[in-house]
Amino acid sequence: MASIGLKRRYALLLIAVLAMGCASTPEAETHSRSVTDDLGRTVLLPPSVERVVTIAPNLTEIVFVAGAGNKLVGVTTADDYPPAVDSLPRFGALPLDFEAIALLEPDLVLANANINNPRDAETFDALDLPILFFSFQNLDEIIQRIRTIGDLLGTAAAANVAADSLEAAIAALRRTTDQAETRPLTLFLIDDETLYAFGSESYMHALIDLAGGRSATAEVESVRPILNEEVVLTQKPEVIFGSFGEDYDPARLLDLHPTWDIVPAVRDGRVYSLNPDLVLRPTPRLLDGARLMAQRLHPTLFPSTEPSPTPTEMP
Amino acid sequence: MRTLLMMVFGLMALLLFSVGAAVSVGSEVALGEVYRVLWHHLTPGADPLLDETADRIVWQLRMPRVLLALLVGGGLSIIGVAMQTLVRNPLAEPYILGISSGASAGAALFYLGFLPPLLSQALSLPLAAFLGGLISISVVYLVARTGSRLSVARLLLAGVAMSSFMAAITAFVTYASPNPQKLQAVLFWLLGSFSSTHWGLLPLPAVVTGIGLVSMIGLSRPLDAMLMGDEPAHSLGVPVEATKRLLIVLAALVTGILVASSGAIGFVGLIVPHAVRTIVGVTHRRLVPLSFLAGAIFLLWADVAARVLLPSEELPVGVITAFCGVPFFLVLLRRSEYGFG
Repeated sequence: MASIGLKRRYALLLIAVLAMGCASTPEAETHSRSVTDDLGRTVLLPPSVERVVTIAPNLTEIVFVAGAGNKLVGVTTADDYPPAVDSLPRFGALPLDFEAIALLEPDLVLANANINNPRDAETFDALDLPILFFSFQNLDEIIQRIRTIGDLLGTAAAANVAADSLEAAIAALRRTTDQAETRPLTLFLIDDETLYAFGSESYMHALIDLAGGRSATAEVESVRPILNEEVVLTQKPEVIFGSFGEDYDPARLLDLHPTWDIVPAVRDGRVYSLNPDLVLRPTPRLLDGARLMAQRLHPTLFPSTEPSPTPTEMP
Repeated sequence: MRTLLMMVFGLMALLLFSVGAAVSVGSEVALGEVYRVLWHHLTPGADPLLDETADRIVWQLRMPRVLLALLVGGGLSIIGVAMQTLVRNPLAEPYILGISSGASAGAALFYLGFLPPLLSQALSLPLAAFLGGLISISVVYLVARTGSRLSVARLLLAGVAMSSFMAAITAFVTYASPNPQKLQAVLFWLLGSFSSTHWGLLPLPAVVTGIGLVSMIGLSRPLDAMLMGDEPAHSLGVPVEATKRLLIVLAALVTGILVASSGAIGFVGLIVPHAVRTIVGVTHRRLVPLSFLAGAIFLLWADVAARVLLPSEELPVGVITAFCGVPFFLVLLRRSEYGFG
């Protein structure tokens, strides 16, 4: 019984959506652009996008880097960078507050295919809000997305400049770390208690490679694996990076996992915690994260010992 | 008596074998290395060639985990026996009657900072779990009882309802807390896991399970009498009401402490006593010690399954016990003529 009711409701929804689609067709055919996103969805966009909402913090940063920060009309409550977001309207991201987003009347919603739920696309479609999902699985994709988003938002020139300079900075860092004689086995942990790590499809392995290390979890076939203590003991990583915050006491890792006293990274005092924003968000600031990791992995290659990452330029 | 002793020794041998097998299962530590580590720790004298990594893995990670699984399996099984005798029905069990979820609600409330620490930090969590379990089973028991009669249908329904309510409290407080690992915490308290066991976690469950085992063996005679009904037991000189209260507190105590150390693991107390009863009958003098050993062996292997079933993830052990226990429960429920004796 319930399923019939449900079907009927879906049918009504479908009719409503179709009706809305028809209503906007004449205008759409003359001016709009058709864009395919990383989920393979084809989306019609109005000729000029003026009101943008991002539903993942990394996209907010990328919109600013692409020179279109002034087109943002709303961000999630999790956003905190760049400082300019402080004056923007907020909406809850977990769960996504569709009502608040609809009230912002965006021309375009930007989503992260690795974080946001792809099924939310259907809800946005029903609300007649164009949404594009972008994936960020490696550094090249991040650079490419800066260009794409600049192009979509009408700031292609600024976006290309930002993307070019990011490419140049990555190449410069790689030239430095290529001089390293060793590539230490490096384990990146997202949490110190439950051992969340990055699986094979993540950008993290490219980042560690850029910093001159070998990622210990590059072969783990799971999106967000939870390692057990045994695996870390057998892998014997030489360096452990964590996104536990900048004022983390590395001794806490040994308190939580007392058996790790023989793990080379713990034994040699090579456990380093980083600012999560510089390593967990796929944005140009990952380069700062990579620099910090490179300085820890190969201190001799970086004569000025003070870790002073150059802030990403915000137009 | 002799058959009982033989069975106890047989199960103990099987338990020892299971412990050996369970510590050998896992990531790449060669079997020879495993036994070398065990030999090193169980005999005097040091082994200079011992591999440090294997030592940490086998002795510091796997051994305490296996021992906790053993204690929890044995403890939950004898509490299953206690509950079944209390309500004179083989369907009773600490998880089904809501003790486990009450205990995990209490533990989660404390763990996430919603309850003040009354004793030391290490004892407050088990205390909160004990009180949660006690409240839960008391409510269920009072709802099911009219006068001196106990309605089995009401008992099971009240148990299911109370379990859901307590699980909802656990989920609510976990989501309301600022804990970033919410989902992980909910899974731990509701489905159980032995994944982060260390030696320091073992003494309290060992002591409390020991108390439970000794009390249950000591109570064998009154418990046998209670299976015949309140009136016959009373005429045999058993203080029926006092014994019932004692059983409830004992059940809440043992379940609470075990849940505090490993989360709510269901159905062990249902499957194991039933299986043992079909072999040795309902006499508690046999049933209690044999259920303890059989429960230990069962949960030990359930934990092995939880560790190896999925390639790179670990299942909550409660998933395995539910897979085994629920079909079992349904079959028992269907066979309405089932009774003791």
